[in-house]
Amino acid sequence: MDVINVDGLNKFYGKGTTQVSALRDVSFAIKQGEFVAVVGASGSGKSTLLHMLGGLDKPSDGYVHIDGENLYALKEKDRAVFRRRKIGFIFQSYNLIPVLNVEENIQLPMLLDHRQPDKAYISDLIHTLGLHDRRKHLPSELSGGQQQRVAIGRALAYRPAIVLADEPTGNLDSANGREVIELLKLAVNQYHQTVIVITHDMNVAAEADRVLKLQDGKLISDTSSHGRGV
Amino acid sequence: MRSYGAMAGRYLKQQRKRSILTIVGIILSVALISALGTMGQALKDNLLMNTKYEDGSFYFGYEKPTPELYETLKKHVLVDQLGVLRVGEKTTPLKNNITVQVSSADEDGYKLLPVHLYEGRLPSSADELVVEQWLLEQLPGSPKLNGSVQLNNPDGQPHNYQIVGVLNNQKGSQIKYFSQAFTFTDAPNVTITSKAQLFLTLKPGVDINKQIEAFTKLSENKMFTNHQLLALMGESADNGLNQVLAIIFGTLVGLVVLSTVAVIYNAFHIAVLERIRQFGLLRTLGASPAQIRNLVFREATVLSAIGVPLGLLVGWFGLWFSLWLMAKSGLKIMMMETFELTFHWWIIGGSFVIGFIAVYLAAWLPARKASRVSPVEAAKGAGSIVRESYRRIRIPSLLNLIGIEGQMASKNIRRNRTKFRITTFSIVISIMLFIVFHYFTQQALNMTTTTNEDDRIAFMLRSSYSEDIAKPQQGIDFISDDVMDQIAELPGVYGVYGNYYGLGAMVQVPEEVVNGHFEKKTGILFEPMQSDGNNNKIIYSDIRLYDDAKLHEASKYLKSGNINSEELADNGVLLIQTVKPMTVDGKKEIMPLTRYSVGDKLTLDMGDGENVEQIQEVTVTGILTQSPFDSPYQENTLIIITSKPTYAKLFEALPQNESTNTYGTARIGLEVALKDGADPEPIRLKLQEVARNHPDSQFIDYAASQKENRNFNIQMQIFVYSFLVIIGVIGSLNIINTVQTNLLLRRREIGLLQAVGMTMGQIRRMASAEGVWFGVIGSFWGILLGVGFSYVLYQQLSNVQGFPFEFPWGASLIACGAALFIGLFSVQGPLRRMEKANLLEELREEA
Repeated sequence: MDVINVDGLNKFYGKGTTQVSALRDVSFAIKQGEFVAVVGASGSGKSTLLHMLGGLDKPSDGYVHIDGENLYALKEKDRAVFRRRKIGFIFQSYNLIPVLNVEENIQLPMLLDHRQPDKAYISDLIHTLGLHDRRKHLPSELSGGQQQRVAIGRALAYRPAIVLADEPTGNLDSANGREVIELLKLAVNQYHQTVIVITHDMNVAAEADRVLKLQDGKLISDTSSHGRGV
Repeated sequence: MRSYGAMAGRYLKQQRKRSILTIVGIILSVALISALGTMGQALKDNLLMNTKYEDGSFYFGYEKPTPELYETLKKHVLVDQLGVLRVGEKTTPLKNNITVQVSSADEDGYKLLPVHLYEGRLPSSADELVVEQWLLEQLPGSPKLNGSVQLNNPDGQPHNYQIVGVLNNQKGSQIKYFSQAFTFTDAPNVTITSKAQLFLTLKPGVDINKQIEAFTKLSENKMFTNHQLLALMGESADNGLNQVLAIIFGTLVGLVVLSTVAVIYNAFHIAVLERIRQFGLLRTLGASPAQIRNLVFREATVLSAIGVPLGLLVGWFGLWFSLWLMAKSGLKIMMMETFELTFHWWIIGGSFVIGFIAVYLAAWLPARKASRVSPVEAAKGAGSIVRESYRRIRIPSLLNLIGIEGQMASKNIRRNRTKFRITTFSIVISIMLFIVFHYFTQQALNMTTTTNEDDRIAFMLRSSYSEDIAKPQQGIDFISDDVMDQIAELPGVYGVYGNYYGLGAMVQVPEEVVNGHFEKKTGILFEPMQSDGNNNKIIYSDIRLYDDAKLHEASKYLKSGNINSEELADNGVLLIQTVKPMTVDGKKEIMPLTRYSVGDKLTLDMGDGENVEQIQEVTVTGILTQSPFDSPYQENTLIIITSKPTYAKLFEALPQNESTNTYGTARIGLEVALKDGADPEPIRLKLQEVARNHPDSQFIDYAASQKENRNFNIQMQIFVYSFLVIIGVIGSLNIINTVQTNLLLRRREIGLLQAVGMTMGQIRRMASAEGVWFGVIGSFWGILLGVGFSYVLYQQLSNVQGFPFEFPWGASLIACGAALFIGLFSVQGPLRRMEKANLLEELREEA
C-alpha cells in the first residue's frame, strides 16, 4: 500500500528572469514500511522535497498525498494537526526546545494535541534510545549524539506514519551516526513506520531499501538497494 | 509538564535576565501610569481644596433672595447644603480710621463660606462673634479671646458680643482698614432681606452643569456661581473649559499609554525575534498558529501578573520617596503636616486595567509575528536564528567619519528597519514625554500659581496714613538700618525689605520698539508723539526703588543683562516689559509690551512733557521676567527698578509741586519674609515691639494666610518637579533598557567580530557610537514630536488663558543631553560583561 504519493511536483522560487526551479516535475510513490534515502548534490532540491513531503512549504504545482490525504488541500490549521499526528521530523541540527528536558521534548507533539502521553510507550522509547538516565536533562546538558536521539524519540513519539529526516547524521561522528541509522531502521522494522532520509553519506544510503537521486530539481534515478531500478 | 503551555513559563524562567528586563519595563510603565494618576488626582484635590479655602465650597448662590426662594430651596430635593449670609447694614468706626462690619451667617453658611478660624470656635448664637486677629487690639477695650465687645449688629443696632473665635488675618482688610466680623443667625428665614445672600451645594451625584439652568430660573435676581470650583469639578457651565481640560488630560494619558505599549512591545518583540526559530520548530512539530499565539499571550499574562502589581507598588512608593526626598533637600516643607498622598481605588484599579491592556496590546503584534513564522525557515537549520530584513543604505552616515567602528555602528543601526524603529521609537517616546510634560507642568504652574517674593512676606510695618500723625520727613527713614539689621538676624527671617515711595513717568518709546501685537490684541493705542524727528509713543511706567535686599531677590528673575550696583547707581535701571493685559476677546494674556534690550536707553519724562529739565535718560542694564515684588505683571505699564542714586536723580527731576516730595528716597515701611517652616511668633513679637516704639506705624500681620498661600505654591511646585523627576527617571530607564537589550541580543554576533579579529576596544567604540547615535536620532525626532505635542497643548491651554508659545528650549536641551549621555552610558555595562565572557561560549550561545 502506498503511504506517500507524489505527483508532478514543482517548486519555483522568485519570479521572471530570477526564477529558480527547486523541483521539476517530481513523481514517485512510497510504500508503508519502506526506508528511503534521498541523495543528490547541494542545491539539487533534496531539502525542498522533504519540506513538501512534511507539509511545511507549499508546492507551486502538483500533489502530495499522504495516507490518501491531499496534503495541500488541507487548511493551514488542519495541516498543522495532520503534521502533528502523521509526520515526525528529524533535523541535522537536532532543533530541540532548549527549555524542555529530554522527556518533555519527546512528549511535545502529544502535548500540542492536548493528549496525555502513553507513559509506558514513552518510557519504552526512552529505554530503546538509551536515554533513560538522561531523561530529566536539558538539551544543553547532552552530547550531539544524545540530542539527535532525543530528536528521533520526538519524531517517533506520536507513532507517525512517516518519519522525515534531514541529514540526521550530518553533525555526528561515525559511531553516533551509525547508532542513529540503527534507530531509524528499528522504527521501520519494529513499528512499521516509513522513513525518508536525506543524506550525503553514501553509507547511510547503502542502508536504505530504496535510493532516490535528485539532480537540478529532477528525480534522475530511483533504485532499490539491491540494484533494481524502479 | 501537563501541557505545551508550560513552555511559556519555562522560557521565562530560563531567560531570567530577559524576563526581568521585560518585567522592569512593565513595572516602570505601570508605575508611571499610577504615579501620574495619583499626582493628577492630588493636584486636583489640592487645587480644589485651595479654591474651597479661598472662595468657599458653595456651588452657586443668589443675591437679594426672597423668603419664598429660601423655602423653595430648603425643600428642593437636589439641594444638599443651603447657607445664609447677611451682610451688616452699618459699620462700626474704631480708632485709627478702622471700621468693622458685623455680618451673620447660619450653620451651613459657615460651612460654605471661606471663614477660617485661627483659634477658638465659630459662633453658635446671635450674641457670639468671631473677628480677625489683628482687629482685637483695635476694638474698644482691646478684648482677648472670650472677651466681650459692643458693635453694631447686622441690623445696625448696638449689640454686646462675646468673642468666641479669632479668624486668620487677611492682608487686604489690614491694608484697607476695614474688617468683617461674623455672628450667628439661628433663624435664617427671618434674616432674609435684600442684604442677604444664599449659598448652596447640590447633593452628591447631581449633574450640576445640567441643573444650573433650572436653578437660575428660580429667582429673578442674579445667580452667581463659584466659577473656579465648578471648573475644577469639571462642572463648569462653560463647556469649552471642560472640553479643553478633557483634551489636555486625554493627550497626556494617551501619551503615557502609548509609551507603555511601546516599552512592552519592544520587550516582547525582541523576545519573539530571539526565538523565532523555536516557534518555527514548534510549527514543524505541528503546533497551530493559534497555539503559538497562545504561548506568547501566556508569557504576557505571567509577566503582567508579576509586573503590574509591582508597578503599582513602585509607583506609589516612588512617588512617596521622591516627595520625601524633595522635602529633605532644598524644598523644606513645613506643610508636611498637611501633605498627603491620597489613596484612590480608581487610580489603582485603572492603572491595573491599563497595565494589563497595554501588555496584551503590546504582545499582540509579536504574537502574530510568532504565529506566522514559516516552519521552513526553522527547518532550514542552523544559520541565522533571527531572519532579518537587511536593506541597502544609500545615504552615508556621519558615523562613517569615525573609521571602521563608526561604519560598523552605522550598518548595525540601520540594517534592520524594524529593530531600528523599535529602538528609536522608545527613545523618541521618552524624550517626547519629558518635553511635553515639562512644558505642560510649567505652564500649568504658571497658570495656577502666580508666585514671586511676595509669597514669603508675612509681616509689614508701615508709616501710618492717618492724617493726625506726621509723615516722615524727606530723607529720613521711617525705620533705621539698625532696626532692619536686627530684624534680619532673627531666626526664621528670610529677608527684610525696605519699602519706598514709587514714582511715575512717561516713557517715550520709539515706535518700532513698541510691540505692535499688544496694540492689536488689546485695542489699547498709545499716544504718539514726535521728538527730535523720531516717532515715539508714550507708555506709562512705574519707577520703583529697591534696596540691596530687594535687588538680591530680583536676580532670580533676571532674563538678560545683570544686576550690578555700580551700573545701577550710574543711571542704570532694570526693566520689566512683560505685561498681562485683558485682550479684546476677554482673555488675560501674557505678552511683551515693548522690545527693549540690555544697553538700550530709556527716555523718561518725569513731568508733563513741557519742561526739558524733566526729561531724563537711563540705561537698561537688566531685563526681568516679572516683578519680584508686588503683582508679577502690570496690564499696560512698564516697571523700572533702580537703586538709590539713580532714583534720587529721577526724583530731583520731578515737578516741584508733586505731593510726594516729602518722602524722597526715605524708607516708608518694611516687609519681612519668612523662611519655610519658620516659627513666626518671635518675629511677630519683635515687630510689635518696633511698632510700639514708632507710634506713627501700622503693623500688618498676615503670617497665617501667607503660610497657607506659600504652602499651596510650594505644593504645586513639588508636584510639578516630582512629575518631572518621575518622567525623567522612567524615560532614562526605558532608554537604558532598550539600548542594552539591543546590544545583548547581538552577543553572538559580537563574539564573531571578536573571532575575526576586532579588538575589545574597537567593539567598545562601535557600541558606544551606536549608543550615542541612537541618542542623536532619538533626540531629533523626540524634540520634533515633543514640541509638536507641546504646541497642541499650548493651543488648548491658551483657550483658558492667553500667553505666547515659547519653544521649550530648556526641556529639549535637558532631554537631548540626557539621551546622549544615557545612550553612551548604557552600553558600557553589557560591554564589560562581554569582555569578561568566554569567546567560545558567546559563539556557541544559542540566543
